[in-house]
Amino acid sequence: MRPPLVISRITPVVIMAVTWELAPRLGGVNPDFLPSLTMVAQAWWRSVATGELPYHAIVSLANLAIGLLASIAIGTLLGVLMAWHPLLNATVGPLVQMTFPIPRTALVPVMILWLGLGAASKIAAIFSGCLLPVIVSAYNGARGVEPTLIWSALALGASRRQVLWEIALPGALPDLMAGIRTAIAIAFVLMVTSEFLVGGRGLGYLISFTGDAGAYAAMFSVVLTVAALGFLADRLYLHLMTQILRWRE
Amino acid sequence: MARVTPLRSWYLTALRGASVVAFFLAWELVTRVGAIRPFLLPAPSLILDQLRFELVSGELVQAIQGTLLRMFGGYAIAVAIGVPFGILLARVAPVRWFFDPLVSIALPMPQIAFLPIFILWMGVGDGAKIALIAFSSIFPIIVQTWAGAEGIDKFMAWSAQSLGVGKRAFLWDIVLPAAMPQIFNGLQIALPIALLSTVVVEMLMGGSGVGGSIIDGMRLSDSPELFAGIVTVGVLGFLLDRAMDRLRRRALAWHQESQAD
Amino acid sequence: MSAYIHCSGISHMYRPAHGKEVLALDGVSLDIGEREFMALLGPSGCGKSTLLYMIGGFLPVETGRLTVGNAPVTGPGPERGIVFQHFALFPWKTVRQNILYGLEKKSLPRSEREQRAQHYIDRVHLSGFESAYPSQLSGGMKQRVAIARMLAVEPDILLMDEPFGALDAQTRELMHEELLAIVRRTPRTVVFVTHDVREAVYLADRVAVMTARPGRIKEIVTIDKPSCAGGDFMRTQAYRDKVDYLWHLVRAEALKTERAPANRAPS
Repeated sequence: MRPPLVISRITPVVIMAVTWELAPRLGGVNPDFLPSLTMVAQAWWRSVATGELPYHAIVSLANLAIGLLASIAIGTLLGVLMAWHPLLNATVGPLVQMTFPIPRTALVPVMILWLGLGAASKIAAIFSGCLLPVIVSAYNGARGVEPTLIWSALALGASRRQVLWEIALPGALPDLMAGIRTAIAIAFVLMVTSEFLVGGRGLGYLISFTGDAGAYAAMFSVVLTVAALGFLADRLYLHLMTQILRWRE
Repeated sequence: MARVTPLRSWYLTALRGASVVAFFLAWELVTRVGAIRPFLLPAPSLILDQLRFELVSGELVQAIQGTLLRMFGGYAIAVAIGVPFGILLARVAPVRWFFDPLVSIALPMPQIAFLPIFILWMGVGDGAKIALIAFSSIFPIIVQTWAGAEGIDKFMAWSAQSLGVGKRAFLWDIVLPAAMPQIFNGLQIALPIALLSTVVVEMLMGGSGVGGSIIDGMRLSDSPELFAGIVTVGVLGFLLDRAMDRLRRRALAWHQESQAD
Repeated sequence: MSAYIHCSGISHMYRPAHGKEVLALDGVSLDIGEREFMALLGPSGCGKSTLLYMIGGFLPVETGRLTVGNAPVTGPGPERGIVFQHFALFPWKTVRQNILYGLEKKSLPRSEREQRAQHYIDRVHLSGFESAYPSQLSGGMKQRVAIARMLAVEPDILLMDEPFGALDAQTRELMHEELLAIVRRTPRTVVFVTHDVREAVYLADRVAVMTARPGRIKEIVTIDKPSCAGGDFMRTQAYRDKVDYLWHLVRAEALKTERAPANRAPS
């Protein structure tokens, strides 16, 4: 009889956790370089209890949310409008396409140059980095809507604007949602990178700070927190996405 | 949407070109006139001057060399480990059982957060940079290879067995070629990630490479240097993407045809 | 006539990854003689393909006995060639490379391999297409490549799983002619799975009608036809009578399948 699925999935993680705990303790690995799991857990708990970790986490996530949501709102609008209006596509399109090959993180220093060392540059970095994937996926999604759907709607008496909001937008949803998932991952990378560069507050800053101070167990604990947050955000979004796209078989 | 007549499409193409030209002209004019402080946004002509200067002085080539070497170093490691590991995950059940949770967690993580750990382990130098680049690039390769090696058509596999293929030959003759399109997807996804990671670690650890010159530009408020660096990265990214596309077309000629089917 | 392929009491339980187990075959017993063309006929889901896969060695024999030439079947091999409905060609290999594949596994000298491959390419009328990729070929041509690939290793038994099911009606008729020509030229045992009654009567020496799931042999019908029967056989009364008879046998089973609760399992 096969063991229950949960046990089956947890066991490898447990094995790895145990290995992590034992390796530095038994002298296989230098504990300066890899603090044992319990040390990291203790540092994590201390950080949470003093309110330090939650504070920086909230700051980071707030910046992330603002930048991301702004990019989703504007990107979707722009992408769908570009797909719908050939004129707009011809003027704005090539400019958007030019930015394709530039890696998102290369824009962080630009934002710092323009907006200084503060929250504004972090948010701007996240916004500018996430904008492109959202525009592209909104555009592709809107373009990919079956012409027969649009024609049916028009034949049933819908105006062009109604077709845009009631047919093209929902039709674009699968591609758009997939694009947003990518944007979320990029947002986390930009959040960490901008905080490494700008400092001041946030989880990225906390990682550098603890690293510079030699508090390696604490550093590990924050790194893992960031990793966990990125993972959780993706999973939660995936759940949301499947719910919204339930009609898609 | 509206049916486009030939005349109309010609008109649109011209509009696209005009739009780009107008954009650069406007940029040049606005910065020259001084409406934007020059240290914030240099004129395109200044950026070109900067690039020419860096090219002549040899800085540009040196920076590009550094960046590409690190990038390919990390990328090569990611491919060399990622592809075999992906195949293992697809074909060997115990491996899959053990590593599945780890791989699913690692994929959506912001891998850049681990840079300080790599610096702790390898010191401040190229080692940590290449390690991070490999670490960032490997997961899409693993996941795509895994998917490709897993979904082998049952009947095709049986045909091969019926024709007398042995267990070892099966891997090389059937699994690997059949998985190639997916593997290439992984390689294509991972390449811009590798470039991006290279630029980031160079920015964060400073000094050399294109990322290094970008960050220097920022620190010294030398915006032509900063923007020249961004343009350089953009061009590199574009060329790499084209090269990968060409490579894919060549290697998967048989598959491309079926795409057109 | 001693049975070349002998099945007795063959049962097979289909165990999907999700969902419950289904009994696909229930105590099937069948003897197929050497050089006989046997058709396995039945509605979808009756297990005819499953039986074929077991003869081919792709599915294990858990209950019952299955021997080929008095030796039990333990796995696939080049003496039992197989052709599938959806061709299963290696898409990254050209026509010639696909056909050469089995020959390479036989460690023949290179010149002989090339010669044999070309021989079979010509035999299935694909000369000129040696360097084409499967994606560039039509359905009928793809199936001819699959047949040539199978024939190239010169198997004693030809296993065919609804090979013409994915082709259009005209191509299918042409393929019938070609298959008969091939079998007449080099007689060997053929086990041919189909749900098309007319195809079974036209091609086969005997037709084994299977019941709806779980599959059992309902009846085995011998088709008496002149050995060189061609298209004109189809116009004889004997042919029409046989088709009629078999159709009624199969129809009863097909109706049972239609009315059975939905179950997901392969045929």
